[in-house]
Amino acid sequence: MNISLDPWVWISALCSLAIFSFLFRDNPVYKLAEHIFVGVANGWAVTFYWHNVLEPSLVDPLFRHGQLLYIIPCIVGMLYLTRFIPKVSWLVRIPIGVSMGYAVGASIPATAQAYIIKQIQGTILTPHNFASWNAGTMGIVWSIILFIGVLCTLSYFYFSKEHKGALGIASRIGIMFVMIGFGAAFGYTAMARVSLLIGRLQFLLGDWLGIIN
Amino acid sequence: MKFVDYLTKIDRRIIYVILLAVVVLPLLFPSALSVRVMPPVEKLFHAIDAIPEEKALIIDFDYDPQTLPELEPMGFAILRHAFSRRIKVLALSLYVQPLGLAQNALIQVTEEFNSTAQTNRDSVIYGRDYVFLGWQPPPLIPILGMGESIINVYRIDYYGNRTDTLPLLKEIKNYSDIALLVSISSGDPPKWWVEYAQNRFGLQVGAGVTAVSASEFYPFLQTGQFSGLAIGMKGAAEYEELVDNQLHVAGRRKASEALPSLTYAHLVMIAFIIIGNIGFFIKRRQK
Repeated sequence: MNISLDPWVWISALCSLAIFSFLFRDNPVYKLAEHIFVGVANGWAVTFYWHNVLEPSLVDPLFRHGQLLYIIPCIVGMLYLTRFIPKVSWLVRIPIGVSMGYAVGASIPATAQAYIIKQIQGTILTPHNFASWNAGTMGIVWSIILFIGVLCTLSYFYFSKEHKGALGIASRIGIMFVMIGFGAAFGYTAMARVSLLIGRLQFLLGDWLGIIN
Repeated sequence: MKFVDYLTKIDRRIIYVILLAVVVLPLLFPSALSVRVMPPVEKLFHAIDAIPEEKALIIDFDYDPQTLPELEPMGFAILRHAFSRRIKVLALSLYVQPLGLAQNALIQVTEEFNSTAQTNRDSVIYGRDYVFLGWQPPPLIPILGMGESIINVYRIDYYGNRTDTLPLLKEIKNYSDIALLVSISSGDPPKWWVEYAQNRFGLQVGAGVTAVSASEFYPFLQTGQFSGLAIGMKGAAEYEELVDNQLHVAGRRKASEALPSLTYAHLVMIAFIIIGNIGFFIKRRQK
């Protein structure tokens, strides 16, 4: 056993144990750790954004190098603060409009290409897509399952016609695919959460207590 | 009946204690579990391995303390792979929080290599072999901007050096000099790289993601938008296995060490799900 003498490791370990104490029940030690975390995170964020965003991107060019064009984004950005003044709070729509216009303009063609066109291409039954599974002849089977899964799942979300007959059968198959998808996502979530627990225990038993290497 | 009632109402604290025991015991008494490498990780490994000498690899470190156990081992393994193959590396983060963790990974892996280096040529040297570009908000700016010019987006690196003075960035100018970008992320950044950098500039993208977000990333692998994919702690362990077995690069295999705990924890959860369901069906029949 080789217990750490680093005070930061001790602070980190004690905060971890305080948070873990919530598993038993809510308690003041947990609350203390929670408040410390929120306070530190906010303090760090404010100073970090000042030194790494506002200062180099606005304060320096505008006030130290006299680049007056920066007044425009500065004013537009500050309009966000008008939310706190009811009489002129409508001005907040200007920076929101600028941000939204920029983001939507950039993302619509990119999103259509990455999420719709490429995914449709990946669903079509072609030799190229069979090979993409790296499964030899089984690639054909996986591609057909994918093809059926996509069509049936889409039919489940088609609400303009009553789900009867062929549409009813397709949508029933579709919901099975959706459920399998949820199951896979749940399994992965469990794996992720256990991984986080293992990581913390590696820290507590290794870096802090020195029981494991 | 009482036993069935007990099965369906096990106190959550008992489950926590059992789970804790199956996670802690394999850490205290390690046993070797063989790691079977799956095709998505193998593809990522080969994509990095195939990077030609004149091109570079960008590693986007986008994990924070919440997802450190899953993603940090991937970062270490990919850096070991790149440095052992003398692949030029540009590191960056699209978020603020990962900066310190990225710096830590770069320093530690560089020290691992330099501690055994005999000559200047064997060493991993900042500015010549790798550069840490740091962070440039908002994410869309570096993703699109680096397609034109890397030094115009990052005028200074993470340490405050002018990027136009660094030897590596005199050779690597934009995406046409980049063979692959690997986004190690707990969120959407791998998709952003595909959406903007791949669609517009044809950049090849690989990804290392958390297990919780795995199912939303698989379609990008099947369509070929991702050159490879590593998922969660298991994916990290697979990559460690490839680096260890194929490149013989020594280094701590944190994800592989955790694999027995992960396996036993999964078995316990499966057992509890089965017990809960048996109890539920027996009670329903009795009604």
